[in-house]
Order: sequence, then C-alpha cells, then structure tokens
Amino acid sequence: MPRILLDATEQLLNGLMYGSLYALIGGGFTILFGVMRKLNLAYGSTIMAGAYVSLIPFYLFGVPAWVMLLSSIAGAVAVGFLVELVCFRFLRKGHELAPLLTTIGMLIVIDEAIVHATGAVGLEYARPFGEESLAWGPFLVRPDYLAILVAALVCFSLIFFLIHRTRLGRAMRAVAERPQAAQILGVSLRRINVLTFALTSALAGVIGFFAVVSVGAARPEMAVWLTGKGLVVTVLGGLGSLRGAILGGLLLGVLEFETMWFLGTSYRDILAFLLLFAILVVRPAGLAGARAT
Amino acid sequence: MDYYVAIASIVGIHALLGLSVYLVAISGQMSFGQQGFFAIGAYLAGMGTALWGLPLLPSLVLGALLAGLIGIVVGFPALRVRGLYLAIATYGFGEVVRLVFLNIRYTKTIGDRVVGPNGAEGFRHVRYVFDRGFTGLQFLGIIAAVVAGVAVLFYLLDRSKLGAMLRAVEEDEVAAATVGIDVTRVKVLAFGAAGAVAGLGGGLFIHFSSYIDHDMVALPLAIASITYPILGGLGSFVGPILGAVLLVSLTEGLRVLHELRMFVYGGLIIVTMLVRPRGLVDEALVLRAKRWVRPRPMPRGGDVP
Repeated sequence: MPRILLDATEQLLNGLMYGSLYALIGGGFTILFGVMRKLNLAYGSTIMAGAYVSLIPFYLFGVPAWVMLLSSIAGAVAVGFLVELVCFRFLRKGHELAPLLTTIGMLIVIDEAIVHATGAVGLEYARPFGEESLAWGPFLVRPDYLAILVAALVCFSLIFFLIHRTRLGRAMRAVAERPQAAQILGVSLRRINVLTFALTSALAGVIGFFAVVSVGAARPEMAVWLTGKGLVVTVLGGLGSLRGAILGGLLLGVLEFETMWFLGTSYRDILAFLLLFAILVVRPAGLAGARAT
Repeated sequence: MDYYVAIASIVGIHALLGLSVYLVAISGQMSFGQQGFFAIGAYLAGMGTALWGLPLLPSLVLGALLAGLIGIVVGFPALRVRGLYLAIATYGFGEVVRLVFLNIRYTKTIGDRVVGPNGAEGFRHVRYVFDRGFTGLQFLGIIAAVVAGVAVLFYLLDRSKLGAMLRAVEEDEVAAATVGIDVTRVKVLAFGAAGAVAGLGGGLFIHFSSYIDHDMVALPLAIASITYPILGGLGSFVGPILGAVLLVSLTEGLRVLHELRMFVYGGLIIVTMLVRPRGLVDEALVLRAKRWVRPRPMPRGGDVP
C-alpha cells in the first residue's frame, strides 16, 4: 500500500477510536435533550467532576483503575443529581432559555469548586493501559484509544438495550415523544427525569475516566473542551437523535485526525468548525435530523 | 479609583456584546457566535491605530463596519438554520474566527516592539490611548458615549417601524411574511447590525486593554455574552445592559469575597432564573412600565357592553 494511503488509514482508525469518545459525550447530551427537551450545559463539568472524584481514592490509596472508573461514575451521578435538583426541578415550565442559564450557573459553580479543590494545576492521572503502542499489521494502535472504543461499544450496547428492550426505556421514549400523553398513561415525569439524569450522569462518569486517561492528566479547563465537543456533536447529529450523535462523534474524530496528520494541528479545528457550519447550513436539522425543532 | 473606572469600562464593553446578542434575539434568531464579531472588530480597530496610524474613531468605525459586513455574510446561511442548531452553527463561526486569529501573523516592528496580530502571542501593544495621554477616566467617557449612542439607537429602533418588523418576525415569521414584511431582509439586517455592535465593543476593548488574544474570545466569552440578555431579559434593550452591569460589577466587585466570588456569581444566575425565568426586564415588566409612564384613558362606563 502506498505510504499516503497507509497514513490515511491509520488516522482513520485513530479517528474512529477517539471519535467514539466524542460520540459518548454527544450521547450524554442527546439522551437528556431527547427525553427532557432541555440542554444541560453543565454536562461537561459533570464529566470533569466525576474524573476529579476518582482522583481521591487514587491519591489516597493508589487504587486500581477499575475502582477509579467506579468512583468516577459514583461522583458524576452525585453531581448529576445536584444539577437536576438545582437547575431543573424547581424551574417553571415553558421558558426555553431559563434552563440554559441555570446550567451555565451550575457550570461556573462546579468549575470553581474544582479549581478551589485542586489549585487549578493539572493532576497526574492513572495510565492503566500502558504507554506502548500495539502493532496491528502495519498500523500502530494506542491502547488507551482502543480502550475508549471498547468502552463506547459497551456503553452504547447497554444504552440501546435499556432504551429499546426495557420498561424504563419504553417510558423514556414515551416521555420523549409525548410527555403529556405519557403522564396520562401513568408514567411519572419526575421519576423519568431523575432516572434520565442518573443514566446520563453515570455515562458522564465513564467519559470522565476515559477522557482524562487519554489526556494523561486532569485539568479544570477540560470542562470547556468537553462542553464544546459535546455541543458540536449533539447538533451535528441532530438534536435528540442518538444514532446521529454517534455518527457525528465518529465523523468529528476522523476529520480531526486526518486534518491533524495531513495539514497540522492549527488547521484541525478550523476545518472541523467550518464543516460544522457547512453541514448545518446544508442539513439544518443535523445529519440524522428528521425531527427539526 | 482606577479600579472602579476599569470595571465601569468593562461593563460598557460587555453591554455592547449583550446588546449584540439581544439584537439577533429579537429577530427570532439565536447566536452563540457574537464573540467572533467582537474579535474581528478588535483586531481590525487595533490594526487601524497601531499599524496604519489611523485615529481612534475611524479605526473603531472600520472594525465595526467589517464586523457588520461579515455579519451580513453570516446572516444569509444562518437563515436556513433555527433555534439551538443556529446557536451551534454560529458558535462554529465564532470558533473559526478565533482559530483564524490564532494563526494569522501580520506584524510590523515599531521602535523596539513587534506590533500586530502575532498568532498565539496575540495582538500586543495597541498603545494609542496611552500614547495620546488619555486617562482611564477619559477613555471611560468615550466608552460611555459609544454605549449611550448605541442605546439611543436601540430606543429609537424600539419605537420605529423596523423595530415592530423585527418583533413581528420573532413572533411569527409566516404571519409577518403575509403582511408584507421581507423576512429575509429583516433577519439578515439584524445579523449585520448586531455584528457591527459587537465589533464596536471589540474595538473599544483592544484600546482599553492594549491587548487581545484568541483565548479571550473563546467559549467563556460566548457564554457571558448570551448570559447578559437572557438574565437581563429580552423585553427591552435595558435588559442586556442591566445584565452586563449586574454580572460584571458582581464578578469584579465581589473581590472582597475573593474565595467565594464565583460561587456567588453562579448561584445568583441560578436563583435569578428560578425566580424570573424570562429575565429581569421581561415583556410583562416592560408593558407595565409603559402603562405607568403613559396611562391609557379609562374606558367610560357607558361604552362597556
């Protein structure tokens, strides 16, 4: 195979693996938006909160990675409940912009709490998957990227099973489709909202662990990066479409790695955002968006 | 004293940013990318005084004009996109602008300084205001005059036919089109004018701080700029100004609480939205204020059926 094709394929693989992290972030935004019709701008901060919580047992007891993953999930779920309670529970209905601002307020509060707790310096994180790249045929594969891909496959399988094969999932879909009708049929909106928050926050915990592992250190400013990626992927895919979010995440990942390799880092994000703008103009409801809002 | 002057200057600059988002919002669109126009205005106005030796006023106008023109260019594709999709599409535009400035180099060596947009280094040494011996207070006067001028324009807009057209498009595009309003023109015009207002703010900012870089126009500024009008309320142009005054003076004024400052700030945003979900100056308040200023004559008893 000619060199250029080989490089392109390697970056394609990298992009798909890392893009599955973007897909997970977008998935978290999307599930919440799909069920509650509200955007949670504090989601990126919830992810980072989970990662930071998992640092506590790591620094105190040097626990293995799987304990860190679990504590990241536990931390994110706790923060997620807090976000639901503070930002959504007591908000009056029918004001679209209000939840944007309450979650912005929460984003500021969580980020500030992290900065206060850590002194805003990057904190070394565990490297459970080693540093050595694996050779797969002619390609080199980073083990932490591979782990992200596996985690995304597991998470999305569980999520699709939950949504399409369980009573809870059916209730969630009913609320997403017609909240009032679902309520008349005996579905408790409050319960579904809280459970949706629990689900997306648990996902945030998984994302937090793998995102920080791939970067190698936990930094407070990662919350902004995660929020940016999440919003882009969510909208690129089409608000409320989980398949769209997965597609959008993978597309963004591949695009970033290909442009980074062939054009350099400085063009990576310019091209990604130009493409976002272009895609939205051509497909105003996102890639998978039949349901425009 | 200098400290309060600086805070007041930032309030004025951010009020322009808030008004820019407001102007797009009252045409029924949602922009999360006005910081991009702010950056364009800042860089061009900075180049005007620092590189091309222009006076302040023409430089500001130049920056605002270019930002406004690009606003119109962005306004056309934006027509196709709505709601949150538009918010993210415009955020994409804002990021493209930011990243272009991260990569652009256009410098001159003046004296012993390298002046001009210099990639990740930012655009340093825009010293027009300092070299001309303006005091902070005098420059605050200039900022206040610009904000006041823009506020007067918004006041006139509110009572003009164009203002009514904007509100009509916001309320119901189809209905607006059926009564003969050119929806396309109104929306694109709103984008262009909003771009110019943000660009003006950027031009003032770079002369106030003598410096700007790409990090200053990233997501946090985007978040701040939509926070002002939403928190202040979209009922009147007073809303975004009030939002900027409150939030900027809070962030800076709460320095006495320095440890807890941002907690109070975030908490206040949440509480305000819980109590007044449509912002401080919402439509109902504006209506009441108008009735209070100009009470309608009471209907005579005999006319009531």
